[in-house]
Order: sequence, then C-alpha cells, then structure tokens
Amino acid sequence: MKKLNRRDFMKLTAGSGCALAAGLGCSQSAFAGSLKLQAGGKDFSPTTGKERQAIPTACWQCVTRDSMIGYVEDGRLVKLEGHPDSIRTLGKLCAKGQAGINQVYFPDRILHPMKRAGKRGEHKWKRISWDEALDLIVSKLKPLRDAGTPELFMYQYGRHKASQAATMYDFMQAYGTGTIGNHTSVCEAAKWVGQESLWGGMYDNWDYDNTDYVVIFGSNQFETHTNHIPTAQRLIRAKVDRGVPLYVFDVRLTNTAAKADQWVPIKVGHDGLVMLAMCNVIMNEKLYRKDHFKFMRVSEDYKATVDEKIAAVKKNVAKYTPEFAEKQSGVPADTIRKIARGFAKAKSACLVTYRGTVMHYHGADQERAAMLLSAITNNLDRPGGRVMGVGAGWKHPSSPKAKVHKTLHVKDGFPGEAAYPTHHVSHQVLPMIKDGQAGRPKVYWWSCYNPGFINGDNKELQSIMRDESIIPFLISTTIVYDESSQYADLILPDVTYLERWDWEDMVSANQIAEFYIRQPLVKPLGESRCQGDVWPELAKRMGFELAYSSKEDFVRQSCEMTPGVREAGGFEYMKKHGVWHDPEAKPNYGFYETKVDVSGDGVILDEKTGVYWNWKKAGVGTEAEAKGQGYLGTKGAKKAYVAQNIDGTAYLAYPPNTKFVKAGYLDFYSDNFADKGFPAFPSYTPIPEHQKMADDELNLTTYKVAVHTHSRTAHCKWLTEIKHDNPGWINTKTAEARGIKNGDKIRVYNSLGEITTTAYVTEGIIPGVIAISHHLGRKHSGVYGSGKRSPTPGGAAADPDVKNIWWKKHGTHPNTIIPNSSDPISGTQRWMDTVVRVAKA
Amino acid sequence: MGTDWNKMADNAKTRSDMYGLLTLVFRQEPSEAFINELRGPRLSGAFSDMELDMGGSFYSEPVSAIADQLALEFSRLFIGPGRHISAHESIFTEVDGDSGGLWGARTVEVKKFIETTGLDYASQFTGLPDHISVELEFMQKLADWEADKWIEMDRISAEYCLSIQRMFLQQHILGWIPKFCDAVVAQADIPFYRELAELTKNFLKLEERSLIIDTAA
Repeated sequence: MKKLNRRDFMKLTAGSGCALAAGLGCSQSAFAGSLKLQAGGKDFSPTTGKERQAIPTACWQCVTRDSMIGYVEDGRLVKLEGHPDSIRTLGKLCAKGQAGINQVYFPDRILHPMKRAGKRGEHKWKRISWDEALDLIVSKLKPLRDAGTPELFMYQYGRHKASQAATMYDFMQAYGTGTIGNHTSVCEAAKWVGQESLWGGMYDNWDYDNTDYVVIFGSNQFETHTNHIPTAQRLIRAKVDRGVPLYVFDVRLTNTAAKADQWVPIKVGHDGLVMLAMCNVIMNEKLYRKDHFKFMRVSEDYKATVDEKIAAVKKNVAKYTPEFAEKQSGVPADTIRKIARGFAKAKSACLVTYRGTVMHYHGADQERAAMLLSAITNNLDRPGGRVMGVGAGWKHPSSPKAKVHKTLHVKDGFPGEAAYPTHHVSHQVLPMIKDGQAGRPKVYWWSCYNPGFINGDNKELQSIMRDESIIPFLISTTIVYDESSQYADLILPDVTYLERWDWEDMVSANQIAEFYIRQPLVKPLGESRCQGDVWPELAKRMGFELAYSSKEDFVRQSCEMTPGVREAGGFEYMKKHGVWHDPEAKPNYGFYETKVDVSGDGVILDEKTGVYWNWKKAGVGTEAEAKGQGYLGTKGAKKAYVAQNIDGTAYLAYPPNTKFVKAGYLDFYSDNFADKGFPAFPSYTPIPEHQKMADDELNLTTYKVAVHTHSRTAHCKWLTEIKHDNPGWINTKTAEARGIKNGDKIRVYNSLGEITTTAYVTEGIIPGVIAISHHLGRKHSGVYGSGKRSPTPGGAAADPDVKNIWWKKHGTHPNTIIPNSSDPISGTQRWMDTVVRVAKA
Repeated sequence: MGTDWNKMADNAKTRSDMYGLLTLVFRQEPSEAFINELRGPRLSGAFSDMELDMGGSFYSEPVSAIADQLALEFSRLFIGPGRHISAHESIFTEVDGDSGGLWGARTVEVKKFIETTGLDYASQFTGLPDHISVELEFMQKLADWEADKWIEMDRISAEYCLSIQRMFLQQHILGWIPKFCDAVVAQADIPFYRELAELTKNFLKLEERSLIIDTAA
C-alpha cells in the first residue's frame, strides 16, 4: 500500500457514501441518544470516586454453592466475598469462589452463537445470530417431537442444580424426552447408592458443631469437599476450640491429614475393611450402643430382638479382625483398636467418607460399612454424628407435560453392568450410544459439561463425538472452547453464574435449611444467554408454552410460592438480602423416631416386615388381596409406606423413598443386594485388578486440589497461577525401586496409553501407589487453561498478563489412561482401581 | 485570512465517513450488499489508487462465496472460539495492573468517556463498550457533529469537539488499535482484512499527525 494522504481518504469516503448511508453490513449502532458536548453529558467526577454496589448472590465454582456478595463498580465486577448473613458459610468464601471474577472476564470467553463451518474438530466456525441458532435447534428438535420420538433428543449436564436443573427438567418434560444424562457416576454415585439401600433418600452431613470425635476416610475435607466451606470451618473450629480428636485415613498425606491428630496411611480400596474391623472391636469389647439397633435389620429375620441383632452383627464382622485388616490394609491392628475405641466411647462421633472410599469396585458396599459403624455407635442422625443433610425445599412453577414422553435407555450402562444405577452411569453414555444396542439420539446437547475431558478413556469418547455417523447433531452450551465443544455442530454462549438468576438449596452444616438466591451481578457479556432463558424461547418456537417466561420469572414465581420465603417478602426480599432461614427453626435430628398415626383409611400392617402401608394408595383391589400378596410382593407398595412397627410402636423410621424396595429399617441385611448376588451384609470384597497385579505395577489414584474443580476452572488465571502442574506423588521406596528421583520426568502407562509428568518423591504417600490430581492437562480452555499461546498475537496472547505467566508446566490428564469401568453395584466410575506401570522417561 | 467553513466541514465529514466505513468493517461479518458496494466501481477505484490489493478473487467470485469466506475469516480472526484476536481495548492495554480481561478497567474508562458526551449504549447492542467498532463509531459521531458545527460557523463548539477527539485518540485509540492492526496483518489468511487493517493503521497515522502532532507544533 502506498503512503496515503487526506486526499486519498476523501476519494475513498466519497465512494463509500452509499454504503454508509444505507448502513450496509451493519445491523445496529452501538449508541443511543445524541452528543451533548456543551451540556456535558453524564457527570463522572474523578474525585468523588466510583459508585460501588454490593449485591447478594451465590457461587457456582463447585457444588457447595456458597452464598456471597459481589461488588460492582461502574458495571464491572471487582470483588467477591462470603455473605456475612449466611448460616451455611458464615461469611467465608474459598479461593475458587473469589476467583469467580476470572470466569466472567477471561479473554478467550465465547460470546456469540457459533455454527460449525468445517469438519468436526477442524476448528472452523461461523458466527450466527441467536435467531438463527434457535431456528436451527427447532429444525432438529421439532420433527423428533412431532414424529412421536422425543427420546431421540438427549441432554446431558455436568453441573445443574436447584433452579438450573428445575428449569431444564421442566422443559424436557414439556418437550417429552427422558433421555437426560448427568455426571454423578464420575462424582460420587456409589456413596448415594450405599446410603439409599439403607436409610432411603437421605444423604449425609456431619455435625461438627456438636461432635466430640471425627474419623475421615478418603476425603480431603480441609481442601476440597462437596460442602467445603460450611463444613471445613466448623471442623477446624471443633478441633481448635474444643480439641476434638481428628483421624484421617488416606493413601496421601493431604492437608487434612496433616492437620489431624494422626494420618493413618491405608492401602487403596481398604477403607470399608478397616471400618468393619472397627466394628469388630466395638462389638467384641461391647462398646456398641443399643439405641439404634431396634431400627436396624441385620439378618433375614425382620422380627429379631435387639440382643439377637447384636449377636448377628458380632457374627457378621467376626472375620474382620484388626489383624486381618492390618494384613490387607496396612493399618496396624493397634491403631484400628485405638481409633475404634475412641470413636465408640466419644459422646458423639462423626464418620466421614468420600471419593477415596467409594470410587471403587463395590464402592457402594464400603459406604454401607461406614453407615454400620455409625449405627452401632448410635451416631446416625444424632447431634454430633453423621446426620441427614438438610436443604431448602423450594416450590416452583411447573409446565404442562408432553403427551408423549419417552426415554432412550443409554443412561444406565450396558446390560448387567450395574445392579442399582440409581444415579445413572454417565461415563458410559457415549460408549452406549456408539454401541447402539439401546438406540442412538439424533441430537445430543450438553451443558456445563465436558464429556471428552472429565470421563475415563477420554480420547475414545472424543472420537465418538467426532464421528458424525454416530450422533448427527451436537450442541454445546459453554463459556469456553474445550475438549468437547470442539466437536459440536453448534456452540451456544452460556452466561457465567455471575450473570444469571437462580434459587439455591445446598444443604446446611447446622441442620437448618437456608434458602438463598443467585442474581446477576453484571449484564451478560456479549450475546451470552442463560439456558433458563433459552427454554421458554425454544418452547414457543415449537408450539408449546412453559410456566415461566424467563429464568428471572421462574425465580420470582418460586419466591412467591415458597412458604417462609413468601412471608418474609418474597422475591424483593431475596433480591435485597440474598439469604433467608426460619429464625424459629430448630436443628433437624432424629427424624426416624417420629411416631406415626397408622389409623388412616387403608393402612394395614404387613406381618412379615412389620411395615404399615396403605393398600389403597398402592393401587391394590382389596384389603384381602393386599394382605395376600404382602408389602414386599406388591409392586409400588413402597410408595404407600406409612411406618415401621418396632416393638409395638409405629415409627416413621427410614422410609423406602428411593428405587430400593425395603422395609423401614436400616437395611444392613439387604435382600436387594442378595438378590443380585452381592453380599447382603456389609463386607470386604477385594478389588479384582489389585489381586493380580505384577510386582512392577502400581495403583493409580486421582484427587482434587483446593483451587480447581475438575474441568471448570483451568481458565481462571488466579487459580492456575497457584496450581498449574500435577506431578505424580510416589513413595520414596517405590521411586527408588524404579531409579526415579524427585523431579525426574516419568512415564505412567498401561494398555490405554501413556502420560508423562514429573515425580514428586515423598514419604507422604503409601508405597505401591502413584497419585495424580485430575484437573489439568487441558488441550483447550484458553491460554491459562492449556498453556497454548495463541499463534495470533491477539486474543489471549494480547493479554498483557500472558507475559506474567512465569510457569512452564500445565500438567497432565490422568483420565486418559483410566478406563471407564463401573462398580457392579452402583455403576459408579472406578477412578481409584486403575493399574499402571511407572518408569523414568 | 478568514475561515473556510465549508472546507473545515468537508474535512470533518471525510474523517467521519472514514471512521464510519471502518466501523462497518470491524463491527461484524460483511453482508453481500456491503461487499457489492466495496466491489463497485467507485470504491474499487479508490482502493486501486491507494494500492490496496484485495486479491483478484474478491472481485471475480460470486458475492455469496465472498460473504461466506469473509464470515469464516471474521470468526477465525476476531471471535473464536479458541485462538483469535480479541477486538477489545481492555485486552491490549494495562491500567494500574489491571489487564488482560474482558470488561477491564480500560473498558470502564471508554464507557465513561463516551457517556460523558451524552451518548448511551443502545440497549440492543450486545457488544462490549470497548470493541474496536464502538470506538471507531464514536469517532464517526464526533467528527460528524464537528462537521455540523463548522457548517453552523460555530467555531467554539467545533474546536471543543476536536479537542474531545484528540483526547479519545490519545487516551484510547492510538494506544491499541495500531497494535491490533499489526496482529491482523500478520495473521489474516485472505487479503481483505489484512489490507483493511493496513488502511486503518495508515488512517490513524494521518489522524495522529493532523490532529495531534501538527496541532502541537
């Protein structure tokens, strides 16, 4: 180009007059109003400072979903901190929560609907308008619905909770598909299945405010946990203020173990065995408490006396001596005895388990062992013990359901893979679709989920997504380009949680429900749009209406419908205050002791099980027929459960309010398990792969860190600066045997493939194991997430902060060499059972 | 010597139109109608005189094919997903340690600056306040307003408006758009955006010389 002068530009602009006059190519002006230079426009004084608003809202960085306050200056979010009025968080917010600002403003964020222009994975995209995007979706979904095959539309989510989930399910029910996948099997499904088989649909919390003794298995409570901030601070307070003993069983010296009275190293997959050995000590030394036995079923006999139950438990755990447990688990018998005695003698005691305990072969049974230990010491749902989680019970609007409602059975794994996949087998969804025996969806839409990264064998899953012949149309709702959205046909720009409405319901740590909301702190960036705003628009275009017009409307209606919140001032109150709890509420304990009136019409006593049930509600023709077939012999009878007869008193006990058919007892003897060929009583079942390991093989375990979630935070630069590498933890002796020194580059491999990382040689892990955290090794997710500088000097590479990236490593992803393999009881992904070899690279 | 009011007005109008044209270039993917205008005899002649090489295919291929190519190139260069050249001032500049994010401290400065002039961001506008096309459109409006004042022979208002334009150029546009253009020139796959980025940079150089350097001298 030659050197230009003003005359050149005059010529050019003279020629461009037509284009400018018509506004060709430009659909909108950025501005409204007109220049008022002399009038001065709006007055922003540099001396009076900026206007700062404090807006209550809620976090979403992890499932804990702390309520918090966002500070906004000039329309820009500048700070997040804990909500001081929250009875859950007590004003605290973790590092991940505070770095939420990075979610909104990271430079690689997707801000427009994008339609694939090249082949899947070719990274060629064309921006389209929301109108075009919605029309495109309708062109795929409406024909399926009109043809009576709504199930061929599959939706799968990673993090959807509370109103985000409620609006999605409402739309799907109105549309007619039940082909809805989640991610729970890679998270903790075995824990829930184990608990549901015992006390129904209740999930545990830990009453640290009142406890006198805490034992943790396989959970890093102080760093990362499903209810992290509410519980971690209470446990710290219990320990520091009241001197509560804390014992941590873990393969690694976590920061929780480091703060404990004792770190008890334990071999992978043996938590349940040690708990059973503790039960053995407690039963043999008569340290048990009788109180809870009457609510337990421990043998085939429903009518056993408490003494008979005590004898049965003692018999069942007899083989799990501390010496046997020591041999298998590596935990000294004396340590088992000491902690068992301490646990049983304490006035109250909490037993905590999580992924380290349950993400195994028979992981659900390990959780049952934890419940047994809690029950025989009367620490279930008692002050200071393992208690029932209490969350907010919101009411919300519901839309008319579709006349045709169908489900494609790709959610629960392959036939025979899992006996009780009550939380589904999400890691097998894509392999099931590829297999095709249960059918294939024509449209697969995922949101806040990265299936090609977070599941096992993720390269195989990516290859399924890449193949257009398997699923014809893929939609991804996301804020960041990632390992999965790279294969989508349509990318929808999601809002971040700091730009949207929700009501929230995460459980409290103090047994009193807290109702709280999330509200936008800033206007959604670009064209990003909340899914809860997309559903009503899609419904309208397909010819049906939802009960709400937007996510805000859904939250508004919910606030006005929910008792307590409504009387406090409803939506306006919640917008102003963010949180509400009933000031008169008492902590919820001992629900099982509630006495029930069984004089109602149709209520009869089942002689075999002692269950009071309502045969009319069960849909049985006559009382005689009901008595003839009995409670357990009547399909659907569990829905008509009323109470459990215990020593002549009708107690609410533990209702069978899940997929498990059971009486009202804690079903430690489980016909459900026995019928499927699993141990009826909590047992030790060795992990098959670990029994045939060669001498040079190791167990690979994965873990979380304090500053990252699995896949949603790598692009948050504050967090990635803190944690950007995940070396392999390896014991000194294990490393020495392989000639590996601290800091050496190592190969970790098995039949699925190989990853490389550096060795962190330490005594802080047991021998025979390599542990690698599972949140890094990103291939996409922006410059902070993947470490890949853009080849262009713009985008994230133009971010001046990029020059401040002082670290060279960006981690590795262990899921690449972990197979998708399910616990045969629960269908949970067996993250911790993988066998690998490790060598110096 | 008396003021040549018409010449001053024409000059301002030329500048306004030039900003307007560049606004269209960077706001969004070009429509077929806009491409037809660019390929028309008047503009193609001006491009030729300026030695702007848009590539032979720009003039010979069907307009729908060109629109499609440019839409892909626009997404690849400026939108993503993935690697792209973010067209926002806050990405390219640093203010008191705040840098590198969307809606940064610099975005707030731009927004405030623009709002002090009486303009508001249109409610239907979904871009960010410091997008390159917003800053260029703001300059278009200022220069257009200035032209009106020259026609009205209101020297005080016109010169005041020029001072606002100088401030905005110095405080914002010149600090990052030339760098942005360099990035586009380096990374463009087809001539269209490379040439128009060069044009933008050259135009801004001329603006700097005539509004800032020459005025100071």
